[in-house]
Amino acid sequence: MKSLRRLIYPYIAWLTVLIIIPFLFIVLATISTFHIFNSYTFRFTFDSLRFLTDPIFLNAFKNSIKFAGITTLICLTVGYPVAYFFANMKSKNKTLYVALLIVPIWSNMIVRIIAWENVFKPVSILNLFNLSFDMIGSDIAIIIAMVSMYLPFMIFPIYAVLDKMDHGYIEASRDLGANAFQSFYKVTLPLSLGGIVSGIIMTLLPAMTAFALPERIGGGTTILLGNLIEKEIFRGSFSIAATVSFVVMVVMLSLFMLIVRFDKEGETLL
Amino acid sequence: MLIYYLIFCLEDKLKKLIEIEGLTKSFDDTLVLKSIDLYIRENEFITLLGPSGCGKTTLLRILAGFESKDSGIVKFDGNIIDDMPPHERPINTVFQKYALFPHLDVFNNIAFGLKLKKIPKDEIEKAVKDALKLVKLEGFESRNIKTLSGGQQQRVAIARAVVNKPRLLLLDEPLAALDLKLRQDMQYELKEMQRALGITFVFVTHDQEEALTMSDTVVVMNEGEILQIGTPQDIYNEPKNRFIASFIGESNIIPGIMLKDYLVKFEGYEFECVDKGFKKDAEIEVVLRPEDIELKPANGGINGVVTDIIFKGVHYEIIVDVNGREYIIHSTDPQLVGNKVSLSFDKEDIHVMLR
Repeated sequence: MKSLRRLIYPYIAWLTVLIIIPFLFIVLATISTFHIFNSYTFRFTFDSLRFLTDPIFLNAFKNSIKFAGITTLICLTVGYPVAYFFANMKSKNKTLYVALLIVPIWSNMIVRIIAWENVFKPVSILNLFNLSFDMIGSDIAIIIAMVSMYLPFMIFPIYAVLDKMDHGYIEASRDLGANAFQSFYKVTLPLSLGGIVSGIIMTLLPAMTAFALPERIGGGTTILLGNLIEKEIFRGSFSIAATVSFVVMVVMLSLFMLIVRFDKEGETLL
Repeated sequence: MLIYYLIFCLEDKLKKLIEIEGLTKSFDDTLVLKSIDLYIRENEFITLLGPSGCGKTTLLRILAGFESKDSGIVKFDGNIIDDMPPHERPINTVFQKYALFPHLDVFNNIAFGLKLKKIPKDEIEKAVKDALKLVKLEGFESRNIKTLSGGQQQRVAIARAVVNKPRLLLLDEPLAALDLKLRQDMQYELKEMQRALGITFVFVTHDQEEALTMSDTVVVMNEGEILQIGTPQDIYNEPKNRFIASFIGESNIIPGIMLKDYLVKFEGYEFECVDKGFKKDAEIEVVLRPEDIELKPANGGINGVVTDIIFKGVHYEIIVDVNGREYIIHSTDPQLVGNKVSLSFDKEDIHVMLR
């Protein structure tokens, strides 16, 4: 076993170079006047933290929470029944059908975003069918695109839990006097909570930090945290970009702690 | 007046709770229940005994309402219950794998059924407490299911079912996962519980010892058919056929001929017996239980040679070769391999069945 341990070294190297060192730079930039091209003015300061009360930041933060929140809620309401349906499917081709749900993820996300962008533009292929939308920059367009992007990530953790769930629990609850509906909300739902939490995290996190999607479909007017970071970097405000990144990271980590609390065996994380 | 009262009591005691007639069920063209006829009396401890795949669990699941039947009649308390969903049946089940809800603690597992019936909180608390006392798990209310041992989970599963005071309790091989000592303890406790609660128990098992120990009535099943229904004594002492004789305990089965009532011939000798009603010179099989045969120094009668002896704790298992046929004998007295012995048994110990 000990010799096998060496196989992990490449990953540790990757982790160090691409995650730990950049992360330390972010921390450094957050608490200093760090700038890649200008080391003469370097000094430690917490000035950039003041940006966290800036209306620009607050607006981006609010947008991120809003769009990610709504998207997650829709994904959950739409995704749970789908996961439930597939988990209880009796067909021999069940695995095939479930695999079909993954197919959208196989195509590049940018390509799918651009596809949606074209759908929401007034001049598009939809004109052939006498349809025309002018929705670029609207909240609805962003939410529709986000839901289509992240729905599979909600379905899969829930499906995984429901599929593995012992049917004996349902029979036991029916035996003890629960009708089908009571059985669902007293047994199935609580037992799939781990999958729901995983699904929420897998949807909420990428949605919160979405960058390309609001950029293209938001038409540059709807700013989320990801777009804010990009803008600040291009303005040369590394410290501010780092501070925003740091906030995003804290939010993500706290959500991750939540998943660990709900799902101690880690059985629902894909 | 008193006579009428006694008859009334007797009638009540013999009341049929479940009546099954011509019940059949098949899964994908495989017939798992072939026209089952059976009734279950109130307050009875009845065991469905048979090897795995004999249909006993399917029968249980039809009673619980988890499977539908293909044809036949299933009556509960005189009413046909085909269309009654499982949650409306006054029947509870102790599942083989217990199926305790992992997201609920012991209290909430046991209170599950009562809460659904919207029973007042203080009554639920009292009922759960009583149920835990019954299964000897007092003070376990707030324990997590995952921290319980197999035996404790088993007890919680029983408590969860009986707390609802069902008319009929179904137990699907509930002791299969327990170790031998625990299993034997639970056998007695279950029997005690059944007497104390006055609930009808339908117990499914493939373990003949379990069936004989606990039941009022044993139903032996094989390949979707009921082979014999009777008291444990009947089943053990008067097995109807070869399958039952070899399934229930160990036995020596010897072919023979029934010369006339009370006279049977096997191994070249004629023996008096207590069986009658066979055709003259009918081809029969004789069952001799290992513990009913006594070994004596070789004399007239059936003689053989001891070929093997195994110490089994309570008794020795002695194998005797009689002209090429092996007999199993249980005796507390040891024998030496190679000893020439004679088999001796009483006429009551000879059981005759049709070949």
